Amino acid sequence: MAANSHSESHYGPEMWVFPVASQVTREVSERTSAIPMAFGIGLGVSGLLLGLGIIGFVIRAMSDGFGAHGPWGYYAAIFSFIFMVTGAAPLAASIFRVTKSHWRRPLTRVSELFSLIGIFNILLFIPLMFVLPAFRNPNLVPLAENELDLRRTIWFEVPIGATAPQWLDLLGIACLALCALVLLWLSAVPDMAQARLQATGFRRRFYGVLAGHWHGTKSQWINQKAGLALLGAFYFMLLVFMQFTISSDYAQSLIPGWKDSIFPVIYTLTGFQSSLGLMLVILFVLRRWGGYKGYIGISLFWSASKILLGLTLLWVYHMFSFGITYWYGRLEVEQNILKYLLFQSYGWLFLANLIFSFFLPFLTLLWNPVRRSDWGPALAGAFVLIGAFLFSWRIFVGAFNAGDVYNIGLEHVPAFAGPDLWDVLIVLGGLGGAVFIYLLGSRLIPTMCAWEIKEGAMYQHMGTFMRGRYLVLAKPE
Amino acid sequence: MAKRPILGLFEDANYAAEAGDALQQADVSQDDYDFLTDAPYPEGAFGEREERHHLYWFPFVGALVGLTAGILMTSMTQLAYPLVQGGKPILSLPPMAVITYESTMLSAIIFTIIGIIFESRLPRPKMGLYDTRITEGYIGVLVNVEEEQLPKVSALLTQAGAVDVVQENPEPVTA
Amino acid sequence: MQEGRVLPAREINRDLLRSILTTPNWYWVTVAIMAIIVLGAMSAAGMMINKGMGLTGLNRPVMWGFFIVNFVFWIGISHAGVMLSAILRLSKAEWRRPATRAAEVLTVFSLMTAVMMPLIHTGRPWRLVYWVYTLPFVPYDFARGIWPNVRSPLVWDPSAIFTYLTSSILFVMVALIPDMAVLRDRTTGIRHQAYALMAMGWQGTPRQWKLQIIAGILLSALILPVFVSVHSIVSWDFGMAVSVKSWHSTIFAPYLVVGAVHSGVSAVVFVMILLRWIYGWENYIRHEHIDALGRLLIVVATGWFYFFVMEVIFGFYGREADEIAVRNFQFTQPPWNLWFIFFTGLTYFLPVSLWLFKWTRRNLWIMSIACISVNIGMWLERFLIIVPGLAQKQMFTFDWYTYAPSAVEITIIGGTFAMVTLLMLLFSKVLPLIPLYDIKEGDILKTEIKIGRATVPATFRED
Repeated sequence: MAANSHSESHYGPEMWVFPVASQVTREVSERTSAIPMAFGIGLGVSGLLLGLGIIGFVIRAMSDGFGAHGPWGYYAAIFSFIFMVTGAAPLAASIFRVTKSHWRRPLTRVSELFSLIGIFNILLFIPLMFVLPAFRNPNLVPLAENELDLRRTIWFEVPIGATAPQWLDLLGIACLALCALVLLWLSAVPDMAQARLQATGFRRRFYGVLAGHWHGTKSQWINQKAGLALLGAFYFMLLVFMQFTISSDYAQSLIPGWKDSIFPVIYTLTGFQSSLGLMLVILFVLRRWGGYKGYIGISLFWSASKILLGLTLLWVYHMFSFGITYWYGRLEVEQNILKYLLFQSYGWLFLANLIFSFFLPFLTLLWNPVRRSDWGPALAGAFVLIGAFLFSWRIFVGAFNAGDVYNIGLEHVPAFAGPDLWDVLIVLGGLGGAVFIYLLGSRLIPTMCAWEIKEGAMYQHMGTFMRGRYLVLAKPE
Repeated sequence: MAKRPILGLFEDANYAAEAGDALQQADVSQDDYDFLTDAPYPEGAFGEREERHHLYWFPFVGALVGLTAGILMTSMTQLAYPLVQGGKPILSLPPMAVITYESTMLSAIIFTIIGIIFESRLPRPKMGLYDTRITEGYIGVLVNVEEEQLPKVSALLTQAGAVDVVQENPEPVTA
Repeated sequence: MQEGRVLPAREINRDLLRSILTTPNWYWVTVAIMAIIVLGAMSAAGMMINKGMGLTGLNRPVMWGFFIVNFVFWIGISHAGVMLSAILRLSKAEWRRPATRAAEVLTVFSLMTAVMMPLIHTGRPWRLVYWVYTLPFVPYDFARGIWPNVRSPLVWDPSAIFTYLTSSILFVMVALIPDMAVLRDRTTGIRHQAYALMAMGWQGTPRQWKLQIIAGILLSALILPVFVSVHSIVSWDFGMAVSVKSWHSTIFAPYLVVGAVHSGVSAVVFVMILLRWIYGWENYIRHEHIDALGRLLIVVATGWFYFFVMEVIFGFYGREADEIAVRNFQFTQPPWNLWFIFFTGLTYFLPVSLWLFKWTRRNLWIMSIACISVNIGMWLERFLIIVPGLAQKQMFTFDWYTYAPSAVEITIIGGTFAMVTLLMLLFSKVLPLIPLYDIKEGDILKTEIKIGRATVPATFRED
């Protein structure tokens, strides 16, 4: 198979690749069932980390219990990171499908496979339900100054009961995971229907059951595409809502006096930015070492990097909007929050966050030749991923260790809360778990969306116009 | 001997490209002929040489100039009037950041505009040989050759399909 | 997204230069009416400057009224140009072609109009002279002892607007050079001289076109961050003020930027529909373009609604009595609550429900109603942000008063709408409102791909 040669084209042969449709099914199927050594090592290491994480979690639960939220800061941070990144990732496929961006095609399944981690998110969230402080102040001294009867929450006067938000959050995360899985299934049905013809044993039964009665009729394709668009829209709305509730319930409302309407937006943006970054890293790996060079052209990195650059600029803009409003407010609580999260206690972490989420990706993606490579956008993707991790660390560990949540405002600047060994294990375990599930999933469901690749090959080819050869793109957006 | 211009006008862009091929075969240097169109064609459509430019340096230099000017202006303004307002430091960075950002962008944009005009080789005080039919969709192939080669080039352009070949503009268009 | 037929260059010239080379009767009548309204507004402003600010409805504590509302509104409209032009250029959307120029020109004229508002609002616009550069790099005349607040966010406005206005004008001018050359070749006499001067000797060589294309993308990328900063800075005029409850919100900057894009793009759609109707540009501004803009507007409107909901939720979240008082004022007290219902309905629910269907997006009457509805709603939004906040200001406030605009203010506001219309009309008389070369380029790049029996529209792409 592989790419046609377009040595005459303006941007060289690697800009666009159009795999031969007849070979796509066989190759994708072969690569999905193969387990190279590097893959096996990755699976083993991530599984080991997951095991260590479980040990760390058990010891944390036994030593600190679920009564106070402070010791669970790092657990919340890793949950937030995984939820933020993997929750936003499946959206990329839906968004770029709606915008009819042809370059998306190799990215689609890489994005949708993150749906599998939704189950892990539900499991990770359950312990957090028990550590969230009650809304009503249990130790309220009547007429005490600076103490609230009900702590500030986005659920206001709590008509839904003091512990209901945790259940609503769980329900939301579960709905999100379910929606993502249906999206993945709907998108993968045509590929599984093809694969069931070639697979044997367990795989054949697995694909057979999931592919159902798919034969690729006109009406099936129409319904599938409409379903993908509708579910994508629903997923988008649900995701943004859940990012709002998680970032508010488990971060903002735990720091007394932190009233910051832009924070949920920053949280969502960080999720979008880091998930795109992670997908670029995965696509780079697949292109270089996964045998998919003939499927993933540079045009994907070129187009996606512009979006990553835009998200990076938006991220810093929103951070600045927060910072300058609080700086100008000059209220004591605002100054203390700035000192706590930005300049003193978590100052070094904020600086690192800023460097990885803005300066490094910005300075990388500023250059045309870098954006027009596979390594450049992937490098920037790795930066923003680290930045998102530092962001979760700074915000969630900070929020879980900000002191009395029933206080009317942050009266002093709490100290930085460092991790202990169990925290480190929990963080590594969370990361390992997510990687483990993704790797496992990639052996069952192909990382390339074969039907979208084939469709793409129909809609684009190299064509001659007068004396030059250019990309001919059907149905341009 | 000085070179003189000759302009072939083509209704069909493909014929203009063929004229380009013929000129190349006739050993006319690519620097000596150009294609004049009323709309941008994809780069390389006429088989023309690749145009090099340094436009991307202009915004960087401009941004640097604007950044320096912004920092100087905002810091000197604050230091020149050392009155504490609302508990803010005399040399406050957030207010500086906004104006410095604007001056950086403004300067980068102005430099870019200068760069575009400069790199486009504009303004041209004299238009030289030109035909108003070009902005009606005709493709002009403008060739500069030695005077004795003019008949040969004229024949070559006509052979390639030029609907008209113009050698002199009795009333040159003013730029 | 390519429904139109390929047109010969001569026909494109004839159609798109019609507004310049011929003058229908209605043109001068409309110009005269608009000019009379503008003159009326200028007289009202003159009278106000002469007699004093007592002629307005402004009084303590509401010292910002219609003028500032209108300032924010026109700044918002000015965001359409860059939003459409820059983002669609960068994303290489084919349907951008007929929309960019009108949007950019609307940017320039609405910015110019916006700038006048705070100047009129000061009541003593000649005091602008205090902003003289007495020292190198110091834009204040400290010697007058006027006690300026050099760290005031209000200082940012002029710097941002000046940057945006200068950039937008230069952006438009650069993109106009090739079209000036077309006009140079089609005119005689003094007009020819003027167009020739502005075309700067443009020939249309591959080098010039290459630079022109790069310029469009590069300038788009550079102006995009400026456009975001402009409305952010306008929002910070409010957001930095901790004493006015409901203003001091961290989300104000992106919230107002998205709102501006919402109103601006709606305004551009309306202007495009008008141009299509007035000049008979059915071949250029096609239903597919309005349809695409309608779909874009659903996204923009929903984004705006998200920011709006965040702003309101976190207004209540703080549970601060004085902020709740403002919200109560906005949501429960007549007539403010009625205005609030109108505002949300007109800005989001009515237009978005109209944009949801393909047949409504392709009905120009319905699209016009939806776009006008958005702009009425967005004007009300600015009014409902500014006035209730000030009317319920608590810190250091001893006067309680709600605001009603005077006839002078209404006349001046009406004049601004006439002024933008007048400037657009005058522009259309001298320069094309649809970029000729962009339309021609789209036609050159058009092609088709055959898939089985179907022929699918396609385009040539360089990257």
